[in-house]
Amino acid sequence: MKLMLATTLAIARREFVSLFRVPVGWIVIALFLLLTAIEFVSRTIQPGQPATMRDFFTTAAVLMVPLAPAISMRLFAEEIRTGTLDTLRTAPVADGAAVLGKFLAALGYLACLLLPSLIYPIILSTIATEPGLDWGAVAAGYLGLALVASLYLAIGTLASTCTGSQTLAFLGTLVAIVMLSILSTTVAAQAPSWLADALVQLSVSSRMGDFARGLLATQHLFFFVSATALALTLATASLYARRWR
Amino acid sequence: MIHASHISKTYGRVRALDRTSFELLPGQVAALLGPNGAGKTTTIRILTGTIPPDTGEVHIGDIPVASQPLRARRRLGYLPEHNPLYPEMTPVAYLHHRGRLFGMDRKARSAAIARELDRCQVAPMRNRRIGALSKGYKQRVGLAAALLHDPDVLILDEPTNGLDPSQVSQTRMLITELAEKRTVLLCTHILPEVEKLCDRVLVLAAGRVRADGSPDELAHQHAGDPVYRLELKTNPSAGHAPAARELTRVPGVTSVTPSPEQPDDAPRGWHALIVTADPSAPDLREPLAGACADAGLFLREITRPRPTLEHVFMRLIQAPDHTPASGNDTPDEPAETPSGGHAA
Repeated sequence: MKLMLATTLAIARREFVSLFRVPVGWIVIALFLLLTAIEFVSRTIQPGQPATMRDFFTTAAVLMVPLAPAISMRLFAEEIRTGTLDTLRTAPVADGAAVLGKFLAALGYLACLLLPSLIYPIILSTIATEPGLDWGAVAAGYLGLALVASLYLAIGTLASTCTGSQTLAFLGTLVAIVMLSILSTTVAAQAPSWLADALVQLSVSSRMGDFARGLLATQHLFFFVSATALALTLATASLYARRWR
Repeated sequence: MIHASHISKTYGRVRALDRTSFELLPGQVAALLGPNGAGKTTTIRILTGTIPPDTGEVHIGDIPVASQPLRARRRLGYLPEHNPLYPEMTPVAYLHHRGRLFGMDRKARSAAIARELDRCQVAPMRNRRIGALSKGYKQRVGLAAALLHDPDVLILDEPTNGLDPSQVSQTRMLITELAEKRTVLLCTHILPEVEKLCDRVLVLAAGRVRADGSPDELAHQHAGDPVYRLELKTNPSAGHAPAARELTRVPGVTSVTPSPEQPDDAPRGWHALIVTADPSAPDLREPLAGACADAGLFLREITRPRPTLEHVFMRLIQAPDHTPASGNDTPDEPAETPSGGHAA
């Protein structure tokens, strides 16, 4: 168990560093900060309006739709393409440890992505008049954003284990995320009520909306954690299945 | 140290390995030879635990690879043919990464990295980006990574690939040194390298072990009938026929044919002949020289070429029973003997 943790962290460490050694790593951070800065200036800082980061979190969650696949696309696809996956597999590394290590690296990168954005609530709280900024709501918003991004990254990790093409991994993840949205909105609206109720539960945006308002619901936490775990389990199974190809 | 028992692997309709068995002992340097598609890569991938066999078992030492793959891999060092590395890393960073994957603590890792950088002569490039290194240095980084955790078993796929002649020589010396304490399995197409390095040769064809033994044993068992090459002078107008007639009369000679490579002075009556002898016949050089003298033929050279591994290899893979193993239901050969084996 101790060794498995050590190998997981070794993979996470290598992957985390490598995410910053490719241009896409820096481009994603720059894009995220640029677009959220525009949103912050144009919509969040509004004279006479209550000090809230709700719009920022909603926009940031939407930005995660293309950015998370861009982060996750190379996790395994690049190793498959270059053949380093085979070398990795001759080391005493369980498939689950490899998946978890890569996912943790992507989460670490996500933390680096979100960390600079903390400047926005700090600015807002500085200039806000009474009653001021609700830091609890801000914490809930960041938690929601992290959970949404985690789910997208887990789906991206799964897509990345299925192909040696980063482009296909990116598109696969994007399609899966968009499908989740379509199923929970357009399809749910047309579906019979028993199915619609189930499909609505897949909605990421409505759950994120609750987090953005500062609502911490156990069912939302359970949804994101279990869906992320499911995607990672499927990624492990997909990686294992590659041995038979 | 490596025990493969009746391993089979099928990809779709193609049977890559067909109940292949062999055993390698500690200290042996064995070569895995075979034409493309013979099953070498599949064998290596199964031995390293990268893919599972459909049937059969592999043990590294006493560890079954199928049920305890992680334990088995800790005893294994592997240098893949194309040696994929992370180009953005430096050799030192890469070796630290590999050491961490093998659960080595910092102190052990640092000592092992210093040892392997020195042994594989990568030290001058230790802090360069791997992507910027020459193919030879990349190969040596791969070798250092394979040796880092001091494995009992080394599997080296084309280890001298991309190296310059002096590096090839150094790598061969290194492999010989490594084999003192380890089992080394080499996969290479460079047959003279096999003759120099290996005390055991496994020839795979159509997914089965076609021959197993030392290079000398294989040369002895599979060289075919003994041949002699003679260069002699005859009457230019008579050609080689009279000489061939005289030589055929020597007891033990089965055929005499002109050599495909004739000497430059052939127009002056010099001929090169290939004399094939019965395998049970003794050394025929003296009787052949005597026959030439008796017939008034001027003999200037007689040689008995030693069959090379290349010659044996070509004979083995072109043998008439070299049929695709797919659908082959014949029982497998008995497991080859570990200390040198026998022709399968």
